[in-house]
Amino acid sequence: MPGIDECLLEAMRLPGARGAALVDWTSGLALGTVGEAPGGDHETTAAEAAELARMAAEHGTFAARGDAPAPVEDVIISNGDSYHLLRFVDTSFDSSVFLHLWLGREEGNLALARIRLGEMAARLVLG
Amino acid sequence: MSAVRTPPPALPVRDKRAVRALSPMLTRLAEERATGVLVREHGVLHLAEGRVVHAESPLAPGLDVLLTAHGTLAGAAWQRAAARTPSPLHAAELLLSSGVLPTGALELCHLDALYDAGYFALAPSSTPGRFRYDHTPRLGPLPSVPVVALEHETLRRRLLLHRLWPDPAADSAPLIRAAPAGRTPAAPVTPRQRAVLDRVDGLRTAADIARNLGRQAFHTLVDVRRLTAAGQIAPAPAAPAAPPPTPLHQVTTDPDIALLKRLRDALEAL
Repeated sequence: MPGIDECLLEAMRLPGARGAALVDWTSGLALGTVGEAPGGDHETTAAEAAELARMAAEHGTFAARGDAPAPVEDVIISNGDSYHLLRFVDTSFDSSVFLHLWLGREEGNLALARIRLGEMAARLVLG
Repeated sequence: MSAVRTPPPALPVRDKRAVRALSPMLTRLAEERATGVLVREHGVLHLAEGRVVHAESPLAPGLDVLLTAHGTLAGAAWQRAAARTPSPLHAAELLLSSGVLPTGALELCHLDALYDAGYFALAPSSTPGRFRYDHTPRLGPLPSVPVVALEHETLRRRLLLHRLWPDPAADSAPLIRAAPAGRTPAAPVTPRQRAVLDRVDGLRTAADIARNLGRQAFHTLVDVRRLTAAGQIAPAPAAPAAPPPTPLHQVTTDPDIALLKRLRDALEAL
């Protein structure tokens, strides 16, 4: 069963992966980081990504209808040279965490990364 | 005279020290890579080789509460592990090695609980901390945190709360519902805030609500400050100061002046 570090290292094996982190979106704390951070600072990256994740998680506009296990699955940002993929981790205990994967646009495959990151998020907390 | 008045925001405490380090003693202990237990007014930090391996605070729900509140772990399973081990950290390690819980879930919950209790353990205190050198804490299979990282995060969390609503009165007082009347339409209450709001009953404090929800106390404080800023809740006004107790034995209204004078003279003569 993977721990936090193994999960992040696995995310880094995805094609084009530049950096990955497990972040708490209430506090903005990075509970684990690997690889690069945009701007070179994992702490700032975590705080800014947490703000984005919190908006997505808290605003009813983005929530699934009905009895979905979590209101939001992921948030995707694309820019000229990279993708940012934020995947919410659905835990059985009370928490507010997501996986953040930073992916180079040339080598990265967004669809594949989205599927894999979802699987990793599930394995992290379900074993 | 109106009975309820909003107290002015509390003055910052130990602000000068906070800029440098939260606890100079802790900094020194980290430098000497000390192993032992630091007991402070609002919580306890367990250090192994200068790293924080475990934290506890009466103001933050422990790992056991976080894990059992929503059925992640059966209460009986925690009890069994706790009965066989000397401390909650060892109980968590036993759960890890026995494979009862997924590694990632346990690591995540452990770190959540550590930063949460650490935040309160490092809160400004009125009494000095005490450190006991002790070989029990050790670097185990669960993640540990450098002292500097915990201090840094604690300062960041203080700033975060301050920015949401600068008055800390609601952090520790029993909370009451308040009507956000006279304000612009309140921001919608999020589902997580709703859970907090539903437990505000005039008696529970933020720490009580956190324990009731099986949620990190700091996470609860974030929503408490947001709800306070939105005018949805308020700290319960302090009970009116009790009148000075009437002495059981009524002091005589006619003190013995002569005796007092003799006493004064005797003291002056010393």
